[in-house]
Amino acid sequence: MNKNFSQTISIRCDDPAPIIALLEQWDIDQASCDIMGYMGIRLLADRDDPGAYIVIADFGVVDPDVSAADEAARNNDRPETQATSAAMMSHCIGEPVFRNYDELYRTDF
Amino acid sequence: MDPAAVPGIDEHDIAEVHLVARGIATAVAPESGLSDVQADLLEAIASALTGVDVDYRSCEPLGAADLAAVIGDRDLDYRQRIVHHMVLGELVLRPIPTVVAHRVAQYAEALGVKDDFVRVARRYAQGAYGLAWKDLSRNGFVDHVQAGGEGEISQGPGRAGKAGPAPFDPAELDPELAATWRGFAELPPDTLGFRVWDMYDSRGFELPGAPGGAPRYLAQHDFVHVIADYGTNLKGELEVFSFIGRADPDPKGFAWLATLTGLFETGYIPTTGFFDRDVRERVIQVPGMHRRVADAIRRGKVVCQHNNLDLFEVDYYARAAQPVDEVREDLAVPPKGDSAIDAGSVGLDDLEGMSEIQRQVVAQRRGGSQ
Repeated sequence: MNKNFSQTISIRCDDPAPIIALLEQWDIDQASCDIMGYMGIRLLADRDDPGAYIVIADFGVVDPDVSAADEAARNNDRPETQATSAAMMSHCIGEPVFRNYDELYRTDF
Repeated sequence: MDPAAVPGIDEHDIAEVHLVARGIATAVAPESGLSDVQADLLEAIASALTGVDVDYRSCEPLGAADLAAVIGDRDLDYRQRIVHHMVLGELVLRPIPTVVAHRVAQYAEALGVKDDFVRVARRYAQGAYGLAWKDLSRNGFVDHVQAGGEGEISQGPGRAGKAGPAPFDPAELDPELAATWRGFAELPPDTLGFRVWDMYDSRGFELPGAPGGAPRYLAQHDFVHVIADYGTNLKGELEVFSFIGRADPDPKGFAWLATLTGLFETGYIPTTGFFDRDVRERVIQVPGMHRRVADAIRRGKVVCQHNNLDLFEVDYYARAAQPVDEVREDLAVPPKGDSAIDAGSVGLDDLEGMSEIQRQVVAQRRGGSQ
């Protein structure tokens, strides 16, 4: 069974607009390149803690012999990932907090 | 079937047709074997395009390298269209098993085909629907349309010197365009212009350029409804876009069939702006629909071979005063096949080819009952 993987990145920033722009461009670039495990990304604002945000990046299986977590690791090693991450962090305050999750359930349609 | 008597059926080596079918079946089969909708659709396409009947359910496996040995010498266009048949065989599955999508990619690679739709299917299998739509809309439509325009392109009055159309742009108010369409009502009833105006008027569609009217670009396909004589319900839309997609000399025309399958069969695509997802009746699984789609692909192939022109690029406005039969002849549109007609493919004016709402409007305008 395929098991998706998600990485969350907790960040703080004054203005999420440049980060949203970065993520939009990231998605456009990913849609046209060779397929990898990256599935999509979300940026959520914390209603109870203004200035706090969480980024959720989802990864899935595209090769039955490679897990989604391994796909995420491969993605992390790409220069473009590193560049986008660095650009995102330049808009953040303080250190980001990373967490890694295996998906156990997802609502499908 | 006598292949020589049916336009669109080229002479094929029967043994090769069976080998190709074996390769396709092996590539797209889930662990449980081909689904009925896969087998029916692929059989119908093989029959429509080659005149050879193949039983996909009993095909012996044929690996990627072996298939490549069979058709590796064929030109890229042929090999790419074989890959598209594989992709279509995937796209009717929900979900698409990752192992199937990965296997099709391996077959494509063995055939020397690098194809965006293989990637789109892999994204569906992965569950990356948003990324898949970005990929499909960008690489299947936008780049293709912007690269087009080499032919007699015109989407109506006022377009001279303007940039190429954007396929998913929302409709704009355009009084000049709306006036042109209203003028079609004054043409003789056998003309392309009158027939397309009548299609809109009888169903209560707002005219292009008017408030609520279809986008200029999309309105191009309505001329094809008239020329190819397909209905305007979801089944008719699937037929017309199967036809348009295969008529396109650029294999990227497959994007239309891929999109409508995602909208009306599996629901992978929620909306395109002009069509919204509707899987209440999974349209390819409707009895006989596989034969109708296959026949539309065959007819599209004939038009492709004759014109080498995307039907979205044809200047229908310049042909509006021509009789429809003459336009069909000019574009070499072959008649529907008996298999499609027997399977329920009806003409543009047949109530069976309309949605329930369209039928109600037609009944009101005709002043009688359905």
